[in-house]
Amino acid sequence: MLLEFDFERPQSLKQALLLIANNNKGAAHDSGHVPLAGGSNIMPDFRANRGSPRAVVDLGGIDELRFINVSDERVSIGGRTTVSDILDHPEISRLAPALYQCCKIFAGQMVRNVATIAGNVSCGSPASDSVPPLLTLDAELVLACQDGERSVPLDEYFTGYKQDVRRADELITEISWPVPAANASSLFRKVGRRKGDAITVVGVATHFEQENGVCSSVRIALGAVGPCVYRAKQAEAILQGNTVTVELIDKAAAAAASDSVPIDDVRATGDYRKQVVGTVTRRLLRQAAGLDAESGVNNV
Amino acid sequence: MDVRNENFPRPRIAEKKLHQVGKPLVRTDAKGKSEGKTRYAGDYVMPNMLHAVVLRAPMASATLKRIDVSQARALPGVACILTAADISAREAATDLPGQTGRKRLETDNQILVRTRVRYHGEPLALIAAETKAIAEKARSLIEFDLEPLAGVYDPEEALKPGAPVVQSHDNIVGSHKIRKGDIEKAFADADHIVEKTYRTQFIEHAFLEPEVGLAWVDENDVVNIRVSTQVIEHFRTIAEAIGVPHNKVRILGALVGGGFGGKEDITVEVYLALLATETGRPVKMVYSREDSWFGHGKRHPFIIKYRTGVTMDGIITGSKIDIIADAGAYVFLSPYVLLYCALASPGPYRVDNLQVDSLAVATNNMFTSAFRGFGACQAAIAHEQQMDELANTIGMDRIEFRRKNYLKKGDPIATGFKVESEVWTEQCVDQAMAALGEKTPARGALKIGRGVAAYQQSYGRLTMMHDTSECWVGIEMDGTVVVRSGVTDIGAGQGSALCQIAGELLGVPLDRAVIYNSDSAVTPLAGTSTASRALYMTGMACKNAATALRERLIKRAAVELGVQTHHVDLANNRAFVVGRSEEFISLKDLLAHCARDGIHRSELVQFNAPVTGPIDPETGQGRVRPDYAYGAQAIEVAVDTDTGEVTVLKSVAAHDVGQCINRAAVEGQIEGGTAMGIGYALSEELIYKQGQLMTPSFSEYLIPTAEDTPLEHTSIILESRSGLGPFGAKGIGEPALTPVAPAVENAIADAIGTRVLDFPLTPEKILNALGDSSI
Amino acid sequence: MSEVKLITLEINGKAESLPAPNNMTLLEALRELNHFEVKCGCEKGDCGACAVLIDGEAVDSCLMFAHSAVGQPVTTLDGLISNRDGQHPLKKAFVEKGAIQCGYCIPGMMIAAQSMLNKNPNPSKQEMREGLGGNLCRCTGYNKIFDAVEVAAHVLQCGGKN
Repeated sequence: MLLEFDFERPQSLKQALLLIANNNKGAAHDSGHVPLAGGSNIMPDFRANRGSPRAVVDLGGIDELRFINVSDERVSIGGRTTVSDILDHPEISRLAPALYQCCKIFAGQMVRNVATIAGNVSCGSPASDSVPPLLTLDAELVLACQDGERSVPLDEYFTGYKQDVRRADELITEISWPVPAANASSLFRKVGRRKGDAITVVGVATHFEQENGVCSSVRIALGAVGPCVYRAKQAEAILQGNTVTVELIDKAAAAAASDSVPIDDVRATGDYRKQVVGTVTRRLLRQAAGLDAESGVNNV
Repeated sequence: MDVRNENFPRPRIAEKKLHQVGKPLVRTDAKGKSEGKTRYAGDYVMPNMLHAVVLRAPMASATLKRIDVSQARALPGVACILTAADISAREAATDLPGQTGRKRLETDNQILVRTRVRYHGEPLALIAAETKAIAEKARSLIEFDLEPLAGVYDPEEALKPGAPVVQSHDNIVGSHKIRKGDIEKAFADADHIVEKTYRTQFIEHAFLEPEVGLAWVDENDVVNIRVSTQVIEHFRTIAEAIGVPHNKVRILGALVGGGFGGKEDITVEVYLALLATETGRPVKMVYSREDSWFGHGKRHPFIIKYRTGVTMDGIITGSKIDIIADAGAYVFLSPYVLLYCALASPGPYRVDNLQVDSLAVATNNMFTSAFRGFGACQAAIAHEQQMDELANTIGMDRIEFRRKNYLKKGDPIATGFKVESEVWTEQCVDQAMAALGEKTPARGALKIGRGVAAYQQSYGRLTMMHDTSECWVGIEMDGTVVVRSGVTDIGAGQGSALCQIAGELLGVPLDRAVIYNSDSAVTPLAGTSTASRALYMTGMACKNAATALRERLIKRAAVELGVQTHHVDLANNRAFVVGRSEEFISLKDLLAHCARDGIHRSELVQFNAPVTGPIDPETGQGRVRPDYAYGAQAIEVAVDTDTGEVTVLKSVAAHDVGQCINRAAVEGQIEGGTAMGIGYALSEELIYKQGQLMTPSFSEYLIPTAEDTPLEHTSIILESRSGLGPFGAKGIGEPALTPVAPAVENAIADAIGTRVLDFPLTPEKILNALGDSSI
Repeated sequence: MSEVKLITLEINGKAESLPAPNNMTLLEALRELNHFEVKCGCEKGDCGACAVLIDGEAVDSCLMFAHSAVGQPVTTLDGLISNRDGQHPLKKAFVEKGAIQCGYCIPGMMIAAQSMLNKNPNPSKQEMREGLGGNLCRCTGYNKIFDAVEVAAHVLQCGGKN
């Protein structure tokens, strides 16, 4: 590659934060002292001359950032926890089924082994597959800098296309979410142009709880149909607190579709995405509500 | 009778009991590849070697106003930079060399852009430096000004008067006609006429090994080029491009990491030859994947329009077919691809009234050239859809409709030639469909569909090319076998097959045979590994060479064993009496006798394909090709009617390969062709916008992964032994791919009740078709 | 231009050193060190041809800087199949099942297969598809590769792990 930069490999989080404290707080994420986790986004970007790094800060030696902690109430993963770590953990499939599902179909094996969830979140792509599940889990991020740390709900993290509230002197050190209710449904479905290792064309995650036929909690997160991944809050509001029927679900799904703002690109047109996001949302909600068996081609 | 046509008669039955041929033996190249020890062209290094890269034009149609390499040249470590100004009048041919070396003059092409850029990625300069990093840095320092020039990006637009001219005076770079029977009468006799237009897309070979080579000039001024190529005979055109005699260019072909036609044309060779000559040092050029999108010709998009007459009884009365191919910016092999498509366009069916008009049209898209199937693939996509449409129009079952129209042995094909080998299309279709078994039940939004496609695919090159192939077979004093042939091994086991054939005839197990191949200076020239010809042509040369040697060995063995020659066979390193295997002489001992008697222990043979004159330009009639292979694919799909996504549930391929040489290799070709065809139908497309490539990576150009192949696949291999190849073999390289994409299309059309006429069948197009048809 | 440091990598159990600019990838370093068994297919993490094992787990060497690999045990195909008298079950199975055509994807494929078997010694067909979904092959259609991995998995289970 043509880009040239210094190379740092800090052995602790403290050292890493010290290094990226060099950055102007408002600087672009791919300039200055650029943190490197799995590399599956940064390396192709650098090879294509995108970015202006003065130094690469390789986080690979910081074991303290690679963890999965489960308590009765909360699950937390570290800033360097990989997609494979999620798949290998014996309980995540129970504690975050949608996240587990997205990890299962994430890229290919080699990328899963190095790509971090935090990296997937912070790359800011509207097609990042881990974000819809995490949004439906009400995930929170811990952003740490040299001077301390702050908590940001993932729902407030993105502010636009590849724009977020993380300053250039901060790292995502932890992602956590409350342990879902035992009877909650957590689903993820991705539509792509091929089954293996495909960039998402439409991604939908849902979290759904009901009591006596009334929707007590619902989250719907949509990927690749807007400038960033987001929650379809209008659609959620249609369901929240109401008796769940096929018609209500249809209405919610239609709202999710009509509120989406997908673009045209080489993979699909905005029209297709709009149509499909509605269909997939409807399907997942029906499945979650036990109103219709999941049908159709699964990704697995 | 022309003595070169003596190979026309075909063996009806195996000439001898086969010991090795037909078995799934371990290939000679397998071990090295499994250990990572096999050296591909990019795995060689030489002392004092330079690294070279190519600077490419970032737009499709432009005038090069200025190029300034001074800053780049000044970078420490840069050895040489070449632009068009440095190589003045040099040009390179883009036409495939027939053995006679004749080429069409107008196909010569600028090596580096002089003033006119015709496609996105056309080379502007070559840079050689001490390291690849320096070469890439130097490349970034080259300054140039391109002034956009009006371009044309659609072949139908390019045909219109006033369109920007890319090639020739009217953008027509190839045309071919077929006229047979009486088309007007055929339409008058028809009960229905079905008119439909089918479109196919640009496809990338996507071999895993990008183009690569290493060249050096030796003490005899020979330009040696180690290169990943399907054609070592390019040494002639390379020599002419750089202005040296033919015998001063040596091509050392490495084992190829995938070709599929994409390494059939010259890729890096001329650049390397120029740089090595200029610098006096070895030069290595390894294309990045980014280079590869621009570095070799793609599969032609075709627009194929059918107007077919059919009776209510299900007989095709005649077909008028209009074909347009996008030849892209330079001619390369477009006229030939067009020809193959034209003659394949009626499909494996009897169509006595036929009018085909075809044009290859230049545009400012990426140039298009050879790709597995070579026009017959696109024809199959069209004719198999048309067959289903015709059946649906008259309300007849698709299989029964085909049954009424199959071409049979002895029938004339599109060019009037009467097929002499077995034509087992019907058996292949029936067996493939039957092997699909019970239909998967539909559920929810999933609709299930089944489709079949049959094909006629030629093997061997055009007979007017006077194709030949050479092979040398020898046996060592210890009874091991050596084969020497120019054949390039591009992954299908071309080399190992020759060893298996030679071993069969000489009674030597495959693991005691080695092949030295693909060196234009040292191994007898075998011609291209293209056109499904390697087994046919080089296999026959090998068989004939081994047979001549075998006869000498048997004759001498018969003396030792005290029997007549027809009682002697060779197997398991022995010459033995048939039926009395305890009476034998080891090959080692036999060879000692042969050596003492001065018996020649090797043989060199040139095998000649049937030869004809040129095709009649008005009617397209004539022999045209040596022979044809027939077969079919049956596919079952599930279509998610909510998203348009497709899953291939079941796949069955049925091919008459004539005779397997290595059964596992034949299965491998069929399985690989099946995957490639699925990609062709569902997910692969090079997208060009105003000639600009929008999909320059494997994350945008989507070939099937391990998760995309059929959930179940079966290969049915039939062996009619009626081919022109060794032991009655035909060819499988291209046939393995040809029926797959149309079978997938037909299955999807069956599932959703409507047809997407425009490849690939993306989920979006399927969803739109469902939406349109539900109104 | 930044200084070029001499780094030492542990490859197949041996220490191997080279001057490595900061922007050199592990793939470039490996091939610079004459490990030609590591293939280059795309340099973007899309094809898997360059896969190597780091601590028993497959990674794309094109997505890693050489400097990042310092101190980590790297295994290429060479290291994977050595010390088994040429009889590593994966190698044997790939050869005997006819799973190799042009062979260019094979080093990465075998590495990915081993990595998958390290975690899942008895994969189902679907799990094999998922485990090998990041390794592109254009020649074989993957069928005989699955057959080979299935056989190798069985042998490895019976004969002990690698």
